[in-house]
Amino acid sequence: MSQTISPVLSVVPTRALVDETFKVVVENLPPASPVTLHALLYSEDKDYWEAYGHYVSDHRGTVSVAEDMSLGGTYTGKEAMGLLWSMRPEPGSRTGLRLRKREVTSPMLVHISVYSGHISEGFRKQSPLASVPTERWYMAPGVQRIEIKEKGVRGTFFIPPGPGPFPGLLDMWGGGGGLLEYRSALLASHGYASLALQYFSPGELQSSDLKIQYFETAFNIIKDHPQVIPDSIGIFGLSLGTVVAIYLAAVSTKITPRCCVCISGHHLYPLGTALNFNPKLEKKRLVTERYDENNYQILRDVRLPIPTDLSEKVDVRKIKCHMLLVNGDDDQNVPAVEAAEDIAQMMRSGGNLHLLTTLTYPNTGHLIEPPYSPHFRATNFIVPTTKEKVISLWGGQPKPHSDAQEDSWRKILAYLHHHLYSSTTPKAKM
Amino acid sequence: MFRVHAVVISVLQNAVLRMVPCVRISKNLACCRRAVGGVRWKSSHGLAPLLTASPVRALIDEKISIKGSFLPPHCAVTLCARMHSEDGDLWESFAHFNTKADGTFHLTRDDSVGGSYLGCDPMGLFWGLQPAPGEREGLRLRKKSVETPYVVRISLMEGHVSPREDQSTELAALTTERWYMAPGVRRIEIRQNGLVGTLFLPPGRGPFPAMLDLWGIGGGLVEYRSALFASRGYASLSLAYFGHKDLPGPQNQMNVGDSYFKTAFQLLQDHHQVCANRIGIIGTSFGVYLTLQLATQTGVKPSCLICINGPVGNGFRHQEADSDGMDGRVLSSVKYWTCDDQGNVSFKIFSSPENMIPESKVKVEDVACPLMYIEGMDDLSFSSKENVDLIKETLDTVGKSHLFTHLSYPGAGHLIEPPYAPNTRMSLWRVKPNKLFVQWGGHHAQHAAAQADSWKKILDFMEKHLR
Repeated sequence: MSQTISPVLSVVPTRALVDETFKVVVENLPPASPVTLHALLYSEDKDYWEAYGHYVSDHRGTVSVAEDMSLGGTYTGKEAMGLLWSMRPEPGSRTGLRLRKREVTSPMLVHISVYSGHISEGFRKQSPLASVPTERWYMAPGVQRIEIKEKGVRGTFFIPPGPGPFPGLLDMWGGGGGLLEYRSALLASHGYASLALQYFSPGELQSSDLKIQYFETAFNIIKDHPQVIPDSIGIFGLSLGTVVAIYLAAVSTKITPRCCVCISGHHLYPLGTALNFNPKLEKKRLVTERYDENNYQILRDVRLPIPTDLSEKVDVRKIKCHMLLVNGDDDQNVPAVEAAEDIAQMMRSGGNLHLLTTLTYPNTGHLIEPPYSPHFRATNFIVPTTKEKVISLWGGQPKPHSDAQEDSWRKILAYLHHHLYSSTTPKAKM
Repeated sequence: MFRVHAVVISVLQNAVLRMVPCVRISKNLACCRRAVGGVRWKSSHGLAPLLTASPVRALIDEKISIKGSFLPPHCAVTLCARMHSEDGDLWESFAHFNTKADGTFHLTRDDSVGGSYLGCDPMGLFWGLQPAPGEREGLRLRKKSVETPYVVRISLMEGHVSPREDQSTELAALTTERWYMAPGVRRIEIRQNGLVGTLFLPPGRGPFPAMLDLWGIGGGLVEYRSALFASRGYASLSLAYFGHKDLPGPQNQMNVGDSYFKTAFQLLQDHHQVCANRIGIIGTSFGVYLTLQLATQTGVKPSCLICINGPVGNGFRHQEADSDGMDGRVLSSVKYWTCDDQGNVSFKIFSSPENMIPESKVKVEDVACPLMYIEGMDDLSFSSKENVDLIKETLDTVGKSHLFTHLSYPGAGHLIEPPYAPNTRMSLWRVKPNKLFVQWGGHHAQHAAAQADSWKKILDFMEKHLR
């Protein structure tokens, strides 16, 4: 039966897609009052992730995260989405964690709270002045999720709501393996029929040579789907997924992607070798892999210097579709920037440079993902072939990396809209 | 239109499998002015329209922005909204647009040139929903379960058509969710101290300002407005007082009296998550009488009152200071409603102050807090105007005009509710022994505007007096 009014915390919208912004506002505070805005997420892996910012209310007793400056915390300055992208595991958590949603049909539930004063720890032990949960979804309502197990191909297909037909995407992650659905679910929420492809499952495919046919078959599954526009299909890759994308675009005679989005990868994949295991490279890796002062594994040097011998890399001069490369200049896992330069050089000499667009972001690491997800400079990684547990250094610093995620996602969506949704003047005679 | 023409030619040349020859060349196929032989421009040669909406999951009172892109320029399209009510009835609406030179249309920028609404109104498809032809008559859209959303499917169709036409011209579609409840809002059933109600608490610890939410003689337990208030940071108690199986006595009469409502107010005051001195009361229709009656009881001190289209008196019941209300009058008797020969029910006579037993009228002069009265000037069922005039006059006489705010909306009917939901001009009142309907009034566009404006003013009023 209290008589005091509590501050009013509002988060708008309360339910959003993960790449949508929100406005966090606190009202009814005393003027010039120090408060801490806090975000808390309990992950599927049962870890607590949090972010916080220190603010001072204005003369009206209001704090607006989108307009005011955070004076300290996991982020500083004017950062509307800082409470999400600056999240890191609560102090005392297990090390080397990475936040990735596996179950995409349910949202991430982030609790936004406001605390009195400027505090930096022990949030869960204190009572906030006000607290509001907000939902962050990878999947829009009406998106269909279809498990694919045909012709040896395994993955999950996400189809936008509506009759279609839709442009398609083949979506591939990196050498960590397994099946990550969230990017495809998000791409489907933006109008693309997207197949998240499993092409690596530690223990399952570890010794098989992943052949081009597997990816061509997957591409054709998308192409043959009645709700997909057969000549408007792109390839989206990150890390090893990018290597596959570039390889398919250059080498495959059976499939014709309309465009490729290639994040944090390279073209240094010699024909005839297994995708996941290259003995020559393995030997080199043992010599050139480095460990930093924290014992994090740095692999970028393994593939340096960029070979001049054409047999050591994909012949990108043969690529006939548009390609967007997205790289971070602090990528400690692959020499993406150096590889991109080499790709450009090759394509210049091959006369197809006009097909290439490259985005390079400063102080940005390897894992360039959809925006507002936290940055991971180094995380646990199990090398699929050897099963060794390492902590892999991905690189990047939180603020620039998060800016890169936000900017690149917007540009990637515009790029896909342009190449897969717009009518293009057909090359056929008119 | 050169670009469209080029695509069609190349499609014919490449004999793409996806072509859907259209034999019907109706005048509605204005989309492709140079269409060749009635072939639809929607082909599989890279030209696909994209329909987007944000936010796709929204609260009922939030605006949604819908856009179409990658369409041919200056092209006629129709947007249709469809949803099923909890009773399984189909509700639909539609609007006609012409794309701009860049092949887009935006509902926040462009005018609807035909359909369920005209002009620029991003929410027109939602408030413009009507029962589909062939559905039962006299339907009213009211959400019973607030823990699930309304799922509204938005379709983009070729040409300026109505939803009844050929379904296969659908070009794109998306699904939106419309919620009465924000995440974290808690819904608590109240069956204590003789009360029948549902309490909605905002997320967090509080304490929160609160509202007591009273509806009309339709009876039952109406939760959706309280769920919305809680989503906006106010604890809110929806109270049933008539026509609910958990209430005492025969269901066709009102068996609770003044003490019942006072108990409800006290429940809020005593709740540890409510600020005892920041409680308001909102009443709609007969709930206005209950609101005023409660506010003028001794020992009850609300911070503000909101009255929507209701009477100051109870025409058939004696004022009781402290009884249990078991006076045995039957609410379903014709004493409080009249019926014309078309089967239309009205409460105008019963709700008109001049017909009220004087002692049944609330002592409005005793109101001691700010009072907002919202009047729909096209209210065909209640004598709202006479009542608000009486309230105004009474408060003026005792020097309390500074407490009074009157909002009147031309063209708005009786059922002024939270925004972006359809108005019901007429609904079924009773089925047996014969079908009777109530004419609530309200012209759709004006009523929708009234709902949007009054809701904003209600929230501002609550903010001002409860925070």
